[in-house]
Amino acid sequence: MKEIRFREVGLLLWLLFIPGGIACERSSPGNRAVDLDPARLTAMSWAEVESLPRGTTVNFAMWAGDETRNRYFRGALTDELRRRYGVELRVVPLGDGAEAITRLLNEKAVGKSRGGSIDMIWINGENFGTARQGGVLWGPFAAVLPNLTRYPAEASWRDFGTPIEGYEAPWQRAHFVLAWDSARFPTPPTTIPELIDWIRANPGRFTYAAPPDFTGSVFLRHLLYHFGGGAEKFQSGFDEALFQTAAARVIELLREIRPFLWRRGETYPANPREVDRLFANREIDFTMSYGPSFASERIARGEFPLTARTFVFSTGTIGNYSYLAIPFNAANPAGALVVINHLMSFDSLIDQSRILGSVFPLDPERLTELERSQVTGLERGPATLSIEELTRHLLPEPDYRYIDRLEREWREKVPQP
Amino acid sequence: MRLGTSGRGERGSLPVPIGRIELAGLVVLLAAGPAPVLLQLVSSVGHSWFWPDLAPSAWSWRAWRYAVSPEAGIPGALFNSLMIAIVVATLAVTVALPAARALALYALPGRRWLHFMLMLPLLAPPLALTMGMHVLFLRYGLADTLTGVVIVHLVPSVPYATMVLTASLARVDIRLEAQARTLGATPVRVWRHVTLPLIRSGVATAFGFAFLISWSQYLTTLIIGGGQVLTLPLVLVAFQQSGDESVSSVLSLIFLAPAVLILTMVGRWMVLPDNERGVGRERDQVS
Repeated sequence: MKEIRFREVGLLLWLLFIPGGIACERSSPGNRAVDLDPARLTAMSWAEVESLPRGTTVNFAMWAGDETRNRYFRGALTDELRRRYGVELRVVPLGDGAEAITRLLNEKAVGKSRGGSIDMIWINGENFGTARQGGVLWGPFAAVLPNLTRYPAEASWRDFGTPIEGYEAPWQRAHFVLAWDSARFPTPPTTIPELIDWIRANPGRFTYAAPPDFTGSVFLRHLLYHFGGGAEKFQSGFDEALFQTAAARVIELLREIRPFLWRRGETYPANPREVDRLFANREIDFTMSYGPSFASERIARGEFPLTARTFVFSTGTIGNYSYLAIPFNAANPAGALVVINHLMSFDSLIDQSRILGSVFPLDPERLTELERSQVTGLERGPATLSIEELTRHLLPEPDYRYIDRLEREWREKVPQP
Repeated sequence: MRLGTSGRGERGSLPVPIGRIELAGLVVLLAAGPAPVLLQLVSSVGHSWFWPDLAPSAWSWRAWRYAVSPEAGIPGALFNSLMIAIVVATLAVTVALPAARALALYALPGRRWLHFMLMLPLLAPPLALTMGMHVLFLRYGLADTLTGVVIVHLVPSVPYATMVLTASLARVDIRLEAQARTLGATPVRVWRHVTLPLIRSGVATAFGFAFLISWSQYLTTLIIGGGQVLTLPLVLVAFQQSGDESVSSVLSLIFLAPAVLILTMVGRWMVLPDNERGVGRERDQVS
């Protein structure tokens, strides 16, 4: 008995030394990084910038909860970046972006302005607004990226109302779609009044994620556009009177249809995954997402029935861009620039669309004939709409102040009977 | 000499048909423990599983194949989690032992208050606490490091370890130590042959608790480690958020395995009360 105990204690002590070793190894992230002053950027040629980060590591903070995504970023993309630019990509799995920004704000507060552990970050909307307000982004840099010119110009103007001013570069496009099972009924309601009639006629078969969930919230914004006289009205700043009248009608409608929702509207799913699960289990007949190919991916994973399909409202659905930004204290901004520009390139975006099913984000007007045919030739999943179909039905996001206010109205007035 | 007699010692065990309420307790325990694990196993290889089907309609090794692929980064995360948890548990017990001695054995003035103060970190919301600590850690260069993560894991595990060890020490007749000293034993021998055997189950329980607390930390590791220190919960939670149930199930099972292993290792000392496991024998050896 005694001997065993001592052997175990010895083992523990031995194990204690290993982490020490790891800690030493870890203490120099982004080794041989290249520091760079954004002000110097304009005086440099892109070829110069591109040659800077050879042999360095780039830490990319992104959400890492998807198999295909992780395989692509840690596999094919990492290999390609190593081959082309001699840059080593490291994916840093960081929750939903808000945590990363909070950490940066903390680092700013204590004056850690160099040698940060993150070189680039996937960001948009409110997180970008917070980051800009807190002054925790490096830049402006977007204008020096050669591949920026192929994105639609409006992608570089405003991000949910916050002027971009070159502090983030457009990357991927999101577009709201709804999904239904074509085996249950052949055609879905494609206007908002039709959908509302459908909900009334089929009690308990519809629900949405409770705002402020992103997807639940964007569903509400479609109603806001519907009652407020169209998306255009919500683009230029915040109009209190417009909001009051439109939001009142949205809330009135949501309260009215509540008894016809899943579980009589007494409870709402917390996030789109729960809505997806209800849909897959045939408890409800619709689900929705910001990712146009989400249904195809879930079919491939065996989570949705083979007959699931997606649709958009005939009046259009809301889409936005997500962006790449560089933290103010990035240890390797030059490396980040090169990786960002690569991710925005035609070839890489084609790969991303093919492998990850993301919407192809470049402006068709700025593509060559050959490139356009490559884009239309992309194989989509069985449930994904064509790019033309999506582009024809694209609505912009409103000013972010509408989003906040509408979510608050919902929280105060809709869930309680 | 099965479980009953060897553990209960001379006090003896009750005859085997157990009471109805005890049986109900066991059933609930089994339903709460192994049943979800079985479900996870099925779900990890289930490809299409729609309600109200009793079993998946198709099967696939996809999730397991991904888990063992280099892109998933599981071995590294597993190794980090294990190392951190072992270090944290060892340190927690080391720190907690003297504190527990002070609390359990001495008539300190304001002992209850002291006890309460020690428990305070458990009452504060972890997010607020960790955010504050992050600022502090940044100043001292501990953010984004393994050391920082170990320290932040100690915050919730030390109070628990102290609690367990205090309870364990309070039950011990500590005069045995003095007895051993008068018989000429060195402090080290007293510790090894008297005190430690007396509180062995307490030490094992404290170690087990601290290990599990560290093992399951997500938020603190994320904020202090900044994604640079990659542990299993970080990988697991990302997949749970994305709703990929097969991969989540695989990761949950991987997450479970080493914890079960460690618990069975220390578990044989945890379950049974101290006084009935060879303490008498060791006492004889000393005297």
